[in-house]
Amino acid sequence: MDPFTGDRDFTGGRDPGDASAAGRSVVVENLTRTFGPVTALSQLNVEMPEGVVGLVGANGAGKSTLIKVLLGLLAPTSGGARVLGLDCATQGLAIRQLVGYMPESECLPPDVSATEFVVHMARMSGLPSAVARERTADTLRHVGLYEERYRPIGGYSTGMKQRVKLAQSLVHDPKLVLLDEPTNGLDPAGRDEMLTLIQRISTDFSISVLVTSHLLGELEKISDHLVVIENGVLQRSTSTADATQLSGVVLVEVTDGGPELVARLRAAGAQVADDGGAHTFTVELAGEWVFDAVQDGAADLGVGLVRMQRRRHHLTEIFRPEQEGADVQR
Amino acid sequence: MSSVEPVPGTAASAVPAVPAASAGPTLPATPTGDVIHDIGFRHYDGHRFGRGWVVRSLLVETVRGVFGLGRPAKSKVMPWVLIGILLIPPLVIAIVILLTGSDELSISYTQYPGSMELVISLFVAGAAPYCVSRDLRHGVMPLYLSRPMRRSDYVLAKFAGLAISMFAVLALAETLLLVGALLMKLPVGAQIVGWAGGILTVAILALILSGIALVIAAFTLRRGLGVAAIITGLLVVSGVVQILIAIAKDKGYPTAASYLPALNPYSLVDGLAVRLLGVDPSNGTAYPAGPLGLLVYGSLAVATVGACLAILIRRYHKVGGV
Amino acid sequence: MSTLVLDHVSRWYGNVVAANDVTMTIGPGVTGLLGPNGAGKSTLIAMMGGFLAPSAGTVTLDGTPVWRHPGIYRTIGLVPETEAMYDMVTGWQFVVANARLQHLPDAEGAALAALETVEMVDAKDRDISTYSKGMKQRVKMAIALVHDPMVLLLDEPFNGMDPRQRLHLMDLLRRLGEQGRTVLFSSHILEEVEEIAGTIEVLVAGRHAASGDFRRIRRLMTERPHKYTISSSDDRRLAAAIIADGSADTVDLTSGNLAVQAPDLGVFVHALPRLARDSGIRLLDVSPADESLESVFAYLVAR
Repeated sequence: MDPFTGDRDFTGGRDPGDASAAGRSVVVENLTRTFGPVTALSQLNVEMPEGVVGLVGANGAGKSTLIKVLLGLLAPTSGGARVLGLDCATQGLAIRQLVGYMPESECLPPDVSATEFVVHMARMSGLPSAVARERTADTLRHVGLYEERYRPIGGYSTGMKQRVKLAQSLVHDPKLVLLDEPTNGLDPAGRDEMLTLIQRISTDFSISVLVTSHLLGELEKISDHLVVIENGVLQRSTSTADATQLSGVVLVEVTDGGPELVARLRAAGAQVADDGGAHTFTVELAGEWVFDAVQDGAADLGVGLVRMQRRRHHLTEIFRPEQEGADVQR
Repeated sequence: MSSVEPVPGTAASAVPAVPAASAGPTLPATPTGDVIHDIGFRHYDGHRFGRGWVVRSLLVETVRGVFGLGRPAKSKVMPWVLIGILLIPPLVIAIVILLTGSDELSISYTQYPGSMELVISLFVAGAAPYCVSRDLRHGVMPLYLSRPMRRSDYVLAKFAGLAISMFAVLALAETLLLVGALLMKLPVGAQIVGWAGGILTVAILALILSGIALVIAAFTLRRGLGVAAIITGLLVVSGVVQILIAIAKDKGYPTAASYLPALNPYSLVDGLAVRLLGVDPSNGTAYPAGPLGLLVYGSLAVATVGACLAILIRRYHKVGGV
Repeated sequence: MSTLVLDHVSRWYGNVVAANDVTMTIGPGVTGLLGPNGAGKSTLIAMMGGFLAPSAGTVTLDGTPVWRHPGIYRTIGLVPETEAMYDMVTGWQFVVANARLQHLPDAEGAALAALETVEMVDAKDRDISTYSKGMKQRVKMAIALVHDPMVLLLDEPFNGMDPRQRLHLMDLLRRLGEQGRTVLFSSHILEEVEEIAGTIEVLVAGRHAASGDFRRIRRLMTERPHKYTISSSDDRRLAAAIIADGSADTVDLTSGNLAVQAPDLGVFVHALPRLARDSGIRLLDVSPADESLESVFAYLVAR
């Protein structure tokens, strides 16, 4: 791998070197599911490693169909899938013992408290009553519900309701949780807290996570691996690191003297392009000397260096390959 | 458009809004006994119960809920008031026997449910929506379906829970009748036989009423609407059947008049009791003589319960999607 | 020109104050209306669209009050948040009906043009009940655009859209803004707002908290020291140089690079390249750490 342009050998969108069966929370093989004339999933082939996997792009039929198949609630038309090593078509009950699910939709009764509800759900997962109570109390603390846990759910804010949904998915200590649009309806602060919580589930609680979201920025922040499905077909399966590599372009912003600095850089042989502002421009990173040139140039000219930052690739490039400056690796 | 978002993965860790519980191992106690315990997420490697236990657990919770146990006080009012009303007549009958010195119950074990139609209908109308409407209305089904149970398990647990609750209440009434009779020194043998017949009758009645009420409740998601729909449905059916029987008799179709009662759950069960056990019919209804009549009534009873269960399972298939 | 002016606008429901003395001007271009849940964004949009009367103050469009002036609906297009739509008609029928309600001379032509703009021509003859959330959203957009309004008000328009639909809508709004229309949209999702809004208006608990370009808003917050993240060939020596220079108050090496807090942004950014060059240190990454819309928004909400 070239140290400062970030180019690597591209291995077809899969995680390089992750070939072992261990460490895979979900494996989908040639999965097809049709409903009459409608094809929800078509020849889907994807392996999801442990950690946090983000699932994006599948709106409507594709995503919910995939979730039902993974939970063992829907049989494939052809092909198959394995969750935590268990076959989805034949071992559904066993899978559902080890998996937690947080639905996107409203699913909480308003007239019971969070504690009562989560204890009930814990018992429905097969936990003995005493264990259910203790684990409920612990889990509600971990998701950040304190005194409000004794009040009826009907009075909760959206953020608190999402936390209850999350708690019922975690209370029975699953090995994998499926979180369907967990930040739906949350404002920026709530969103941030939920994302932090999701990361904790993976790193602190050691539970694998499959998150679906429409928001690429969020997924960039928290997932280790990304799967993009559109119209039932796999578009990309890549580690987040690969998809958000540093590009070979540096964005520079100075307080003033932009044109003079650009002239100096060009004179030194750098490729400089306009970026829309008088004092903002991009430079091709032909070598580390470019950094020196910018820095020294700014110092010599006595201008302030507001920004000198390598651009990263973003997930949006998958959906918009014609975006300028992006090297799309597909 | 400049893209200068922070490096992926660092932003969230900069602002932890939820207190981070320590996930490291417990530090060993120092010689002076000071120690910090690990209160991070605990894994669970203990016993997990299977489907059978879970279904039984759901059933027990349903039964408790029907009687208002584990629920706020005002949900206890309806069921217990109705139970109270249901239990008064046996008391009254016992007193009547005492006062009149009669040697048999003024109303038989199998006639008793028929005489308390309204109260029983109100009870099941209040209980059934609690069992199923809540979960359907608030979309809780995905949470059940993602657990180690089948869709049909949920339906059967709810049905069995309601049926057992109904049976318990009705059996209690029958037993009170028996107790009253025995206290009044009525002939023991006959009373026990009558009581056994009554128990069988109310068991079948519980199954049929539970099935019908649950089906109606599963299609009327608002609880108030469900209660109203069930009670209206049962009363209307009862009334219409009465009218039809009267018309049939009037127009000279006694056979039709004897089969029509099968359309009303209460008289269906009563008819079965009359033909199987040879007891007197309630309300003087005429039931068909002969094996055909028994066959029709019997299979209708079984078919009703079966159909209700099938409809319920299908309803949950459509609506309760993940 | 199409400028919406809110002048000391308040709206209350009994004791609940949804909008509290808000004064703002929304001009041509794309403006993002931000705020936490319950801040009053939907209320404000409803008042701008003439659906709600202000309890106090005035909402005017180019000088004409918006309330009780049905004529303004020729100039304004509104895309509300609610999902409810008439399920039993096709998308085409619904848009044409709205065009007719607008008394447009060529209702069908306008409807077709609107549907083309939102890329719903292929699906126009299907019942609305068969549409996905994103498709319904696009039909709502078509209705709002059918009469070619100069002002477009959208309440949480990106809700439920998948990334591709989101990009399309962003492009559309950007284009409409470039055409000189006044486009106002409310959103929770800062990454969308950052992409297309030239100006932001921030509402916190019914009060108008800030207005303008978010980076310039950040620089107005002089009471907060600016945070910078720097990566160099020798962070420790650079840290020492910066401290010695005095242009920054706090220098933090714990996170693997240099995190700096500087009270005066201008002084610091001028000093930095000089310090690096004079110490023979190569700067590899220099970026403001709290100029993102997320940070600015968090600061505004916390005031």
